[in-house]
Amino acid sequence: MTQQFYGKTNMPGSRLFDRRAFLKMGGAGLAGAALLGAAGCGGGGGAFNGEITMGFGREPSGTLQKLIDQFNKQNKDIKVAWRNMPVDTGQYFDQLRTQFQAQDGSLTLIAGDVVWPAQFAANSYIIDLSDRFTEDMRSKFLEGPVESNTYEGKVYGVPWFTDAGLLYYRKDLLEKAGFSGPPATWDELKEQAQKVMQDQGTKIGHVFQGAEYEGGTVNGLEFINSHGGQVLDPGDASKVIIDSPESVAGLETEYSMVTDGVTPQAVSTYQEPECEAPFLGGDAVFCRNWPYMYSLAGTGEFIKPDVIDIAPLPAGDGGESVSVPGGWNFFINAFAEQEAQDAAWEFLQYMTAPEQQKAYTLGGSYLPTLTALYDDPEVKETLPTVGVAGEALKNAVPRPVSPVYSDMSLKMQEEFNSSLGGDVEPQEAISTLQTELQKIADQAPS
Amino acid sequence: MSVAAEKKRKGGFLKREFGDPERRTAYYMVMPAVLIIFIVAFFPIMYAMVLSLTDSTVVQTGPFVGFANYVEMLQNPDFLEGLINTAAFTVISVTLEFLIGLGIALAINQAFKGRGLVRAAILVPWAFPTVISAVMWRLMFQDQVGVINYVVNTLGIISQPILSDRTLLLIAAIGVDVWKTTPFMALLLLAGLQTISADVYEAARVDGANIFQRFFRITLPLLKGTILVAVLFRTLDSYRIFDLFWAMSNRELESLSTFVYKSVRVSQLLFAQGNAASVFIFVTSFLLALFFIYGLGMQTSTEE
Repeated sequence: MTQQFYGKTNMPGSRLFDRRAFLKMGGAGLAGAALLGAAGCGGGGGAFNGEITMGFGREPSGTLQKLIDQFNKQNKDIKVAWRNMPVDTGQYFDQLRTQFQAQDGSLTLIAGDVVWPAQFAANSYIIDLSDRFTEDMRSKFLEGPVESNTYEGKVYGVPWFTDAGLLYYRKDLLEKAGFSGPPATWDELKEQAQKVMQDQGTKIGHVFQGAEYEGGTVNGLEFINSHGGQVLDPGDASKVIIDSPESVAGLETEYSMVTDGVTPQAVSTYQEPECEAPFLGGDAVFCRNWPYMYSLAGTGEFIKPDVIDIAPLPAGDGGESVSVPGGWNFFINAFAEQEAQDAAWEFLQYMTAPEQQKAYTLGGSYLPTLTALYDDPEVKETLPTVGVAGEALKNAVPRPVSPVYSDMSLKMQEEFNSSLGGDVEPQEAISTLQTELQKIADQAPS
Repeated sequence: MSVAAEKKRKGGFLKREFGDPERRTAYYMVMPAVLIIFIVAFFPIMYAMVLSLTDSTVVQTGPFVGFANYVEMLQNPDFLEGLINTAAFTVISVTLEFLIGLGIALAINQAFKGRGLVRAAILVPWAFPTVISAVMWRLMFQDQVGVINYVVNTLGIISQPILSDRTLLLIAAIGVDVWKTTPFMALLLLAGLQTISADVYEAARVDGANIFQRFFRITLPLLKGTILVAVLFRTLDSYRIFDLFWAMSNRELESLSTFVYKSVRVSQLLFAQGNAASVFIFVTSFLLALFFIYGLGMQTSTEE
């Protein structure tokens, strides 16, 4: 067999030639593939044909697709396509960053998270909308979400829908225990929870999100902000001012939920689902969560919505009730062509107009960003959360608006979680954060 | 043709190598493979090494800074936490997997009724995708519905919730990894055991060797090659641990690989350090493999 093989390769016969030709073909194929790839990357530079693409994650109610179809029917010269992006905001952010690095303008309109504007704006990935989104237009929107879209005095995004941390409570249990209403302060919350737990044997007092993830940052910040603490200097975003007695008091209150027996020790591993289960399962008196949880009440084994009520989050000692908002906003890709950007602006205005916002609010139970919709009778009736959420959103304090927010959040998650887990003293966590966050802020692109 | 061949034969090494049509054909034959290896393996590794010596961000390549990234990386508490966790995880889990795996392999190497069934059943944990078993175990360790957490809390062995303590979390991760990969280890060792001829044991028995002598003088030395391959595989695998930590601890437990991911993908400022850490992982696992091959005398081919 071996002999035969050698014999053949030695001969300049047709077989040998075939192999060579094959190799050449292979080489040419590789080079061709490389060229194709390059062409693929550079493609899309043609003239604008009226088609724009919008990026967004998942929208289970189907309302978004309906609104897009309606827009496409009404407009002959602009066609909008929706590209599905990762549902996980971290992954979505990742993917966008990769596209921006490649200067990809194919995703003209981006529906993105409330913490992204500064990070994208600092790198000039998205365009400044200050001239288009005028002062007059802005005044019709909720203040908090607009503020989150503002970086160094310029507005980079238009709020689409928003989210606020709310206090869910069991009105039946509180009534039985003789309390007339929800707690106004964290101390009252503990007091009410302890009484209900003692009298009625409810297992858990209060649950919230304390795990080491973005939600942990939000919850920690709510405790800090509601005591009057702040992360960044309101006048100078490059200055970290978290090291204050107020911030320490905030984390101390958060930890005291565990030490006073109101919250299970495992809260330092809880995300939203771990809070839904005990509260909607009837085992907890209070729960901090987003508006979405209301629609889950009454489904399956869960408790009915009529024993639940919602209130703004309690205030800290010497502070006031504060909610750290989430929410989604529209940004326009800086790498898209001028005409595409203009078309995206048209669609953006359509989406954020009162009529479409109302349709979206009613269709998918989202919180609108236009102030007027909070007084709309139809909205109020369909969505009881809107009433309280409007109240909570008036006291919205956005997460630190910084081009290096991702890194700040990583540190805050870590320290808030360690403090909540009892691994470090709140004072120590806050002083660590002062140094670490300042180090991060100093590295921000200017 | 023959004149050209004559000319080429007179040259140096290159001409000698490429002058011979047969050798030339051989080079043509391996060229695509070499090219592909260069493009997909050699170039990225070299590029990562070069990048790790510069102050680069995700957006652009920065100036040369020597080993500054490595110095910063070694001072970063998150990296050190990852290094310690990874080292402890690798040493403990591979040791346990080897010992238990060897025991299982020896047991199922014996002839008994239903041996085929036992061999198949033992592989079940290994057949699970890691992420799925990680999530499944997380639920069992969880404080609200977790059966393990309930049992240890009720018995008073552990008073706090397992998932909220980093040390307990690491121990749990080691336990899950042992549960999951011991079957793999057992399977590899069993394959090795089956290559040892029964004649040797019979001869030893005739010479009066007891069971311990037979194990230490025959089984272990003849199994050495298989053991080294199995342990090296598992060591490198554990050293790169990512999915189990990521999914089971909900991103809280740090390993070298999770540090790289967080630095390069999540953070916007630690890109250079993350790069240095990925090179660190590559170099250290390379050294580990070299230690196995040269230090412990592992055979990499069947040629004597």
